[in-house]
Amino acid sequence: MNTMAGSLSSPPKTAFDGPKAPRDPASLDPVFTVSGLSVFYGDYEAVRGVDLNIGHREITALIGPSGCGKSTVLRCFNRMNDLIAGARVSGKILYYDEDVYGDHVDPIEVRRRIGMVFQKPNPFPKSIFDNVAYGPRVNGVKGDLGSVVEEALVKAALWDEVKDKLKASALSLSGGQQQRLCIARTIAVKPEVILMDEPCSALDPIATTKIEDLMQELAREYTILIVTHNMQQAARVSDRTAFFTAEVDDTGVRHGRLVEFDETSRIFTNPVDKRTEDYITGRFG
Amino acid sequence: MGMADVSEIAPAPQALGRSRRRHGESVVKAVLLTAALLSVATTVGIVAALLEPTVGFFTHVGIVEFFTSTDWGPLFKPPSFGVIPVVTGTLITTVIAIAVAVPLGLAAAVYLSEYASARIRRVIKPTLEVLAGIPTVALGFFALTLVTPVMRDWSPFEISLKNGLSAGLVVGVMIIPIVASLSEDAMAAVPNGLREGAYALGSSRMTVALRVVLPAAFSGVVAAIILAVSRAAGETMIVVIAAGSNPLFTVNPADEMLTMASFIAQAGSGDAPVGTVAYNTIFAVGSLLFVLTFLMNWFSARLVRRYREVYE
Ligand SMILES: Nc1ncnc2c1ncn2[C@@H]1O[C@H](COP(=O)(O)OP(=O)(O)OP(=O)(O)O)[C@@H](O)[C@H]1O
Ligand SMILES: [Mg+2]
Repeated sequence: MNTMAGSLSSPPKTAFDGPKAPRDPASLDPVFTVSGLSVFYGDYEAVRGVDLNIGHREITALIGPSGCGKSTVLRCFNRMNDLIAGARVSGKILYYDEDVYGDHVDPIEVRRRIGMVFQKPNPFPKSIFDNVAYGPRVNGVKGDLGSVVEEALVKAALWDEVKDKLKASALSLSGGQQQRLCIARTIAVKPEVILMDEPCSALDPIATTKIEDLMQELAREYTILIVTHNMQQAARVSDRTAFFTAEVDDTGVRHGRLVEFDETSRIFTNPVDKRTEDYITGRFG
Repeated sequence: MGMADVSEIAPAPQALGRSRRRHGESVVKAVLLTAALLSVATTVGIVAALLEPTVGFFTHVGIVEFFTSTDWGPLFKPPSFGVIPVVTGTLITTVIAIAVAVPLGLAAAVYLSEYASARIRRVIKPTLEVLAGIPTVALGFFALTLVTPVMRDWSPFEISLKNGLSAGLVVGVMIIPIVASLSEDAMAAVPNGLREGAYALGSSRMTVALRVVLPAAFSGVVAAIILAVSRAAGETMIVVIAAGSNPLFTVNPADEMLTMASFIAQAGSGDAPVGTVAYNTIFAVGSLLFVLTFLMNWFSARLVRRYREVYE
């Protein structure tokens, strides 16, 4: 497995294909190993001391009340927090055996390899085709972009709906279609991991179901992390779940903490921590 | 009329009658309407004022001579009315100005909106806008007494003491703040989600700026450039001082040249009696400048409609 991880400072050498290995619930084949991760916005420590492993080609859900730092943690994996002035990270995130925040790591290469889908669909105000072709183009892919675009749209379960209007503006699509376009756009870069920050929160139930099915499908090839407020969604789609909450320290400051991380079935049926149980049963207060 | 219809259809028992506040509102509406009409009337008035002497001009001077002759000397005896040298003079200084202002102004806008920290932006942007407030007389002498001598010292080519190049360069400097500031406004208005999306696909900062932000801000940027072009084409003082008043028919920017605006200033400050051909010439050239600027606006509006990227 580790041969798949090219160095983060150079383009990858392998593509993903082949069947998804059967999941072994007990053992976790880690893509990311997070240890002692804290994130600061200026002087404010928004997230403190997170230890977490993300399994290869698994779906890991990050859940927890609003403001507990789920997005903050998620944005560490592809170094999106670098773009926020004053944001700072301590601790380690290993991608296979390479430190994502290491000195020689190129954040642009990190983001190319670790894609992200956002809460609000954010297609570029360009044509459907140009949206999907954007990533390959800026990453210097030459040759037949048409087939790259088609493949990505097929994988994102959007091809049949848009194949006759690839030149139409991406903004003419519905919200759910736009979100699948954003997923296609991400896939077109051939990332190894996809981060999703509440990808369905702006969508209706039918569009949500489509995206959930799509996630299941994509998990054959990709490692997926998803932040969600929807308990059922976490329970339905994820293999493992990390529950975060905000804790008040001695000085009265709130920090996001990881409370419990386990297989999703265990978290939802037999949580160890009382706070997890309260949250998933809706008794959170 | 909408009001009356509604009350006829649904006569309300009480309390739906006009209140006093409504009267206040109609006063406000009348004031606003007057203001709007006033600005329309001003424009119409300007066109009308230009039109009459322009028509007068063309009853004396053939339209063919005006547009085809390359000899311009309406105040000489015998007068000549070929407008081409004045138009090329305007074109040359404007093109030079735009060649300076668009790259530098856009670079400044990209820097301010995509690279600079909030603190740097807070200092630089107002400074840039102050640049726009420098009196053009001062800029004209800057061109004549500094830019031209330096160019004459260093250039391997012959450069006249008064020349279109120096004037164009300094007009370019004058309009940089317009391009930079308005383009930056347009780029800052591009939703942040688009930038995040682009970064998340492995874009460098430069790629995000050039491939996502700039195209999304296209219509605002074009509007900024159009305004800058209009200002450059209509700029008078710098050109009068630095480019001279000799209407040479030339395409060499190092030559002395007369522009439409500087002709108007030159002739207008003379003593051409009202109603004479010389007097009417001023308005004919004014009309031409107006029409050219109008055509450019119209053309760029079409361009924008065709290529803009609508977000939201
Ligand atoms: N750019 C920022 N600058 C300063 N503080 C921030 C920034 N982004 C987030 N925070 C703070 O960090 C904490 C965690 O925020 P984060 O957005 O990660 O929470 P979240 O769990 O994703 O919440 P939600 O479920 O509402 O999206 C919050 O207290 C928030 O105010
Ligand atoms: Mg969030």
